[in-house]
Amino acid sequence: MDLSVPPDITFVVLTTITLLAAIMALQAKELIYGAISLGISFIGIAGFFVSLDAPYLGMLQIAVYVGAVVVLILFTIMLVRREEVDKDETGETGESAAGLWLAGLLAVSIAGIAALAGPNLPTTPPEANLPISQLGAVLAGAYPVPLIILALLLSAALLGALVLAKVDR
Amino acid sequence: MPGLVSYIIVSAALLGIGIYGLSVKRNAIRILFAVELIVNAANLNFVAFARYMNPPKLSGQVIVFYSIAAAAMEAAVGLALILVAFRLNSSIDVRKLNKLKG
Repeated sequence: MDLSVPPDITFVVLTTITLLAAIMALQAKELIYGAISLGISFIGIAGFFVSLDAPYLGMLQIAVYVGAVVVLILFTIMLVRREEVDKDETGETGESAAGLWLAGLLAVSIAGIAALAGPNLPTTPPEANLPISQLGAVLAGAYPVPLIILALLLSAALLGALVLAKVDR
Repeated sequence: MPGLVSYIIVSAALLGIGIYGLSVKRNAIRILFAVELIVNAANLNFVAFARYMNPPKLSGQVIVFYSIAAAAMEAAVGLALILVAFRLNSSIDVRKLNKLKG
């Protein structure tokens, strides 16, 4: 990371929103607030996608994650009994500290390796012209079979979820 | 636009938060949150690396397209499983789901 240039304000704001909301999602006392924080974190990621010249993915991220996954989670929270949901759930202090160490070590080592490789990594993105139409052409032109398999998989997952959640009378 | 390293560091931080939740939390829904965060960290890396390639590639975005769809499926099936576990056990504490233990 080149520290001599002033940091990009959009990037800093997006990073703060995404990481704080991610922490809140896991640490919020009530699960329902956690789910909403998760949605905010997903919106932050969508902002990253837009800033990386992938507006279509940003839209998809908001439509699928914020619109579908978070709403699904909210409904599940409503279906599960309340006292069960908000029970104090973190393990003993030692356990929690061990998890913190594990996660911190992993994140710091990855970030450290990236920082060490920093001089060899590109600092400015190359000029790009990536229209959405081209994404569609790649999706349907170069990878048509995975697209169809994905559609089948989606229907299978939907049916599976229905079968699992169905109440036998 | 910041360098690629910045995106990798953000993604690593998100992964770390996810791993923490995955290893410490006991509520099954909370664990699902952590999984989604990890998937998002991976997606961010894919898009960032594809954008910084010279010339920029669209394959990274295509992969993320599939990944988002797969994560949506995973959430649907996972939440259905959580509902079933709650019905059978009247608890979604993962340490209490030990019926398979001999």
